[in-house]
Amino acid sequence: MTWSDLLLIAGGLAAGFVSGTVGIGGGLLFVPIMTVGLRVSQAVAQGTSLVAIVPTAIVGGITHLREGNVTIRPALWMGGGGVVGAVLGALVAVEVPGPILARVWGAFLVFSAYRLFIQGWRRYQRGLSD
Amino acid sequence: MGGGFVLVPLQVLWTGMPQRNANANSLVAIIPIAIAALPIYYFRKGSPQVDFHLALFLVVGSVLGAYAGARLLSRIPDRELTFAVAAVLGIIGVKELFFP
Repeated sequence: MTWSDLLLIAGGLAAGFVSGTVGIGGGLLFVPIMTVGLRVSQAVAQGTSLVAIVPTAIVGGITHLREGNVTIRPALWMGGGGVVGAVLGALVAVEVPGPILARVWGAFLVFSAYRLFIQGWRRYQRGLSD
Repeated sequence: MGGGFVLVPLQVLWTGMPQRNANANSLVAIIPIAIAALPIYYFRKGSPQVDFHLALFLVVGSVLGAYAGARLLSRIPDRELTFAVAAVLGIIGVKELFFP
């Protein structure tokens, strides 16, 4: 057990925690832990992150099921749709320059964050707790 | 990329799904997507670049973290959860937008 192993465990713990609460796979957090923290190459970090997402999502997902947080039908539809989307995306993969894709993607996230914040803020003003 | 960053806001903003259910549904949906994406990734990239030593130690932490996070989710009020999700999406969005 080396310091870098401990860093991986600590980083994994934090990424897993965000994954469990926010509902994301954790890949966007796994990659910088490896590239910034351990100077691993981008390609290896991305491939390794894809592998690490699977057990993380399985444990988080099963815990959510047991906690009664999951509405089964939408989850199944999204999972099925996502698989089809992933396969189609790989088949028709157009060569879009990485930075452009990242910017479009970033704009979508910022817009979503803004809309979610507004929605939360309105409920806050109405004084609804749930 | 499992797609959770798309699934979470779309459920809440389009279908009015409560935040807690949206986050949990997203993580469940990621399971088959991530499993399906693995062979596709290998197929397309030619030579798989995975460091199993790194993956093992990451997973030791992330599995514990995911369990703790999922347990905690039931105890966070929905409204505060929405703010937390908005903050995470906003931070990563700004990062991708300005430092792609």
